[in-house]
Amino acid sequence: MKLTDHEKSMLDGEHGAPVQKAMEILVALGKIYDAERLIPIQSAHVAGLSLKSHGVAGMEWVEEMAASAAKVCIPTTLNVIGLDRSRDLGLPEDWCDKQMRIGKAYECMGCYGNSSCVPYYHGFTPRFGEHIAWAESSAVVYTNSVLGARDNREGGPSALAAALTGRTPLYGYHLDAERLANVHVRVSARLRNLADYGALGAFVGKRFSNAVPAFSGLSAMRTEDHVYLGAALASSGGVALYHVLGMTPDALFNDDKVLAKDCIELEVTEKELTMGREQLCSGTSRQIDYVAVGCPHCSLNQLAELARLLDGKKVNSGVTMWIHTNVAIKGLAAQLGIIDAIERSGAVVTQDLCTILSCPEALGFKNVVTNSAKMAFYAPGSNGFNIWFDDVARCVDAAVTGTYTE
Amino acid sequence: MDRIKCRIISKGKAEGEALLCSQPIGFNFSVDVETGVVTEHKHELENVSIKDKILVFPNGKGSTGGSYVVYQLARLKTGPKAIINKICEPIIAVGAIIGDLPVVDSLETDPYAVIENGDHVTVDAINGFVEVTKRGAQ
Repeated sequence: MKLTDHEKSMLDGEHGAPVQKAMEILVALGKIYDAERLIPIQSAHVAGLSLKSHGVAGMEWVEEMAASAAKVCIPTTLNVIGLDRSRDLGLPEDWCDKQMRIGKAYECMGCYGNSSCVPYYHGFTPRFGEHIAWAESSAVVYTNSVLGARDNREGGPSALAAALTGRTPLYGYHLDAERLANVHVRVSARLRNLADYGALGAFVGKRFSNAVPAFSGLSAMRTEDHVYLGAALASSGGVALYHVLGMTPDALFNDDKVLAKDCIELEVTEKELTMGREQLCSGTSRQIDYVAVGCPHCSLNQLAELARLLDGKKVNSGVTMWIHTNVAIKGLAAQLGIIDAIERSGAVVTQDLCTILSCPEALGFKNVVTNSAKMAFYAPGSNGFNIWFDDVARCVDAAVTGTYTE
Repeated sequence: MDRIKCRIISKGKAEGEALLCSQPIGFNFSVDVETGVVTEHKHELENVSIKDKILVFPNGKGSTGGSYVVYQLARLKTGPKAIINKICEPIIAVGAIIGDLPVVDSLETDPYAVIENGDHVTVDAINGFVEVTKRGAQ
């Protein structure tokens, strides 16, 4: 791999041990994936901050990086963490202490502690063709597919390495030739809500885990529909990029340019959509103790919709309802009166955290309803929850009555 | 004994008993780092331990926090001794590199055609080859 003199000096340790370690990771990746060189990137987003992912071993790894005076050299945002820094939600003290240590280590390196999986909603919006190094699988797929930025599936440490050096190896989805679709998904099923987009993503992601799907038959998608489709593709599968013919920027004008010659065809009718939904259901008891929405984090529109759905209602005394977003969106929603409107019902709008990256299971919950395909996929493994997966209106019904009905 | 050339993802050398999986594995929230048991609901390896195995699976998937889980499994010695992928993706590659876990991919022979569960497999991710001794052949 060709390195510039400046890059060589980083690799030789002239800019300190953390930069050298970062460069070693990037050069190793570049060699594996036949990158001819490194390229400059405009921003990074570092993920994997949950104590569940880091563990004590990962916490010590990142504290060691911070202690050796590592500093990011490009705008770098941080993903969701495992606690809400604005209020006590009753999570275990030791968990919160360690989670704070992880967050602080990254902030020490100059990362913005915005604790968001959707930084593109609030001020960090990569443009078409821009090279970035973002982790968080749902953000990778959104920036790549909907914004048309150029990003690979960065792991937490490789995104940090990119942030410390301002560079990433030139391979994978940074190259136009690698962005062609190899599965053409024809959708005839009717998609009515975010849960349906999640079911579609889960069905396709499970069958073609490292593919680039191109969808046809989808129209009038809202931003949130893309977010929930992408998050499902990237959790049930490992998809980093999809196209919607005639809609997303790589596929806006010319279908032939985006479909590979040997493209596989896949049909999604109502039957396949139902299979996607069933894949995500692990529910057993219909007596519910926890309802969670906002994975990925709720947009302002989603919070406004929840305020309408919860208007004049009370969350059942046997149920806890958490609605996940981040401080940027919550701050605006609070100013608009939306947070008060939601919380009058007894539901809690959390910031910084989400269900799968935190430990609400420590509060004794077990039987859960969500409209998030990503949460439905991970929560059985991450939280030990039994999950009912359905539309947000059914989530609110379950929260109010304490019982899930289809 | 078959010796199969491969691409080195993360350097090192290990040998042990093969465990094959036909499905992709996402490590974050899907493998218990204390025990090495797969926890993903409805996964082919659900409730199976990957500890001390030579783990063969097609590719990684899912959460990008998986790098740290691969790192933890390597540090705590609760994970596989080595990984053989069809195509290794960067989430696993990076976790393995910082955790010194041997990983190879792109074997010149399809690993699913020559390796079976329980075979004794050596992964030499220094010289770039995999050796397979069939179960009961020693």
